Amino acid sequence: MRKGAFLLVAVCVALALGLGSCGDRGSARREGEPGLVRLTFYYPVGVAGPLARVMNTYVEEFNELHPDIEVVPVYSGDYDPTMQKVQTAVMGGNPPDLFIVEISELPTLLAMNGIEPLSAYASPEYLADFFPAFLENSYDEEGELWGIPFQRSTPVFYWNKEHFAEVGLDPERPPETWQEVREFAGKLNRPGRHGVTISGGWDDWLFQGFVRQNGSELINYRERRVTLNSPEAVEALEFWVALTQEDKVAPPHSTWASTPPDFVAGQTSMLYHSTGVLSFLRNSAQFDFGVAFMPGNVSFGAEVGGGNIHMGRGIPEQNRRAAWKFIEFLTTPELAARWSRDSGYVSVRVSSYDLPDMREYTDRYPEYLVARNQLDYASGKMMAPAFQEIREFLKSALNESTAGNMAPRAALDRAQRQAENLLREWLP
Amino acid sequence: MKSDQNDSASWRHLPVVTFLRKKKVFLHLILMAVAAITIVPYVWALSTSLKTRAAVFTPEPQWIPNPMVLVNYMEVFSMAPFGLYLINTIIVVLGVLAVQIFTVTTAAYAFSRLTFRGSNLLFVFFIIQMMLPVHAIIVPNYLTVRHLGVLNTRLAMMLPFFASGYGTFLLRQAFRQVPRDFEDAAVIDGCSGPVFIVRILMPMAKPTFVAFGLISIVTHWNDFFWPLVVTDTPSVRTLTLGLAMFVQQESGADWTLLMAATIFVTAPLLVLFVVYQRKFIESFMSAGLKG
Repeated sequence: MRKGAFLLVAVCVALALGLGSCGDRGSARREGEPGLVRLTFYYPVGVAGPLARVMNTYVEEFNELHPDIEVVPVYSGDYDPTMQKVQTAVMGGNPPDLFIVEISELPTLLAMNGIEPLSAYASPEYLADFFPAFLENSYDEEGELWGIPFQRSTPVFYWNKEHFAEVGLDPERPPETWQEVREFAGKLNRPGRHGVTISGGWDDWLFQGFVRQNGSELINYRERRVTLNSPEAVEALEFWVALTQEDKVAPPHSTWASTPPDFVAGQTSMLYHSTGVLSFLRNSAQFDFGVAFMPGNVSFGAEVGGGNIHMGRGIPEQNRRAAWKFIEFLTTPELAARWSRDSGYVSVRVSSYDLPDMREYTDRYPEYLVARNQLDYASGKMMAPAFQEIREFLKSALNESTAGNMAPRAALDRAQRQAENLLREWLP
Repeated sequence: MKSDQNDSASWRHLPVVTFLRKKKVFLHLILMAVAAITIVPYVWALSTSLKTRAAVFTPEPQWIPNPMVLVNYMEVFSMAPFGLYLINTIIVVLGVLAVQIFTVTTAAYAFSRLTFRGSNLLFVFFIIQMMLPVHAIIVPNYLTVRHLGVLNTRLAMMLPFFASGYGTFLLRQAFRQVPRDFEDAAVIDGCSGPVFIVRILMPMAKPTFVAFGLISIVTHWNDFFWPLVVTDTPSVRTLTLGLAMFVQQESGADWTLLMAATIFVTAPLLVLFVVYQRKFIESFMSAGLKG
């Protein structure tokens, strides 16, 4: 009996050590071939769907086209885990050749000296075909290029056409101004159903759009300016409080993942959310819904989101050249269009939308064009050093105001003080 | 007054009341309520995993899927090699546990039975190790694994957990509770050192081993961050990394797939506990010195 137990332990240990150490490193297809450049590529998946498989297909096609390069795709979870994996690898002296992370991580990547500048590789003609709003998060304060847009989104406005018809609103006409949002929401609100939902979780991101719709901005990275408590921002937050506290037509709290299901279940009639959920809504909703620009105040306005591709710092020269080839491959108008259709992201290249395949697709699903058209009114995503902390300051100001615990002005003043305090050395 | 007492006495002897008291019905009702609270989310996950996408968010909650479909499981399996992930997870979890039992037992024996200089200080270091969060030592661990040249292997996932301050602490306490008399008796019978550990100490600390084993298995089964950081290829990755494929920050999750994957990832542990439940509980009812 005892001997049996001992044997079991011994077998387990042997198994652990033996099998443990014989893991394989990438595909052994062309192991040890001279002149072969192998690139490690960390990528996250930000929207639902079999995107890991899609990405592997693209990589295989690239590897077929370039016999001297082998890109090894490494799925690395969501945005946050990917960033943590990148940080660990960089600090451990083993940076990935290529990786995709969330766009507002740029100042953090620069602070840890984790990425290579790309100006030497990117031609002006190449960059001219990107949507300008998507490129804003690629540059540092001196105008150096550090990342190339790849999986990019922007928030849009969704409305339930059946609910509109039910309360006597024109189902084909979404609200175009804040005032109309408030009026429509009042009509649509019912017990167990909210008139409108401004999704929580990334509400700081949505709030940036509202401030832009009001003609201002929260953080200007290139000019090192933070204005979380501008009169325009206060007015935007007062509008949120009007919806949640005065009219009680919007939920004061929600999560990013729960509001699209709420919309599908008919528990909210209008929804502010990323264009990234459009495919989910199309597959799940059993009613007719519409997609529109986010309603404006002074003007329309939006902000961009998603992930950029970066090159790891300190990789050998030949890896850098090969890595740039891969970046170019992923951002050709053709592939960007394909990626947009496969994922629901907006294509980063302007000329993608002139390709025959893409025209046919957008003729069939014109709702996918709304996000692209809204880009004319969009700006880059706010970013700064220690951005995650500033985000928390802003989010707690938003949450305490919509919960009715704090006046918008006082809450944003506090967030501004906290941010100024944290960024003392960075601010001019 | 008197009749009152009589009334209450007769009330106490009603057959229904006796039945309720003897069978501990109220206790069971409370336990059933607690069990329901625990089980309901799992049942809902199971139900969601068998639904079509359109049936997930109906205004009326739908407990029994209509239509009931298995496509989610098929889709989950087509998106990642979950069978391979399962095998990797089992290897990693058992490998860690096997080595831990060896290191933890010997360390706990030293701390509880041997007297040597600096043993208290050394023990304090072990306790400190218990308090360090994994994230704080991730970079040093990564460097170690990299220098050993075992990045992207199952061994890399196990290596940092081969020693366990927590396990050492638990077992040291358990060994200390084994009275000296046992050791004296064993020594007189010519049994000491390793034989004493295996024959006397380990069986007597069995409940602690079982408790520690459970904690270790569940911890490493669910570990996400370290395996994510040190592995790159599906051939060595574990279940939790496969599961993460169905949670998305920008769009929210694909619920039917996420639930199907969750059921698959948690089912082996659940089955293990259901099958061995009796044994686990028995091990906690151990005997000690008599008289």
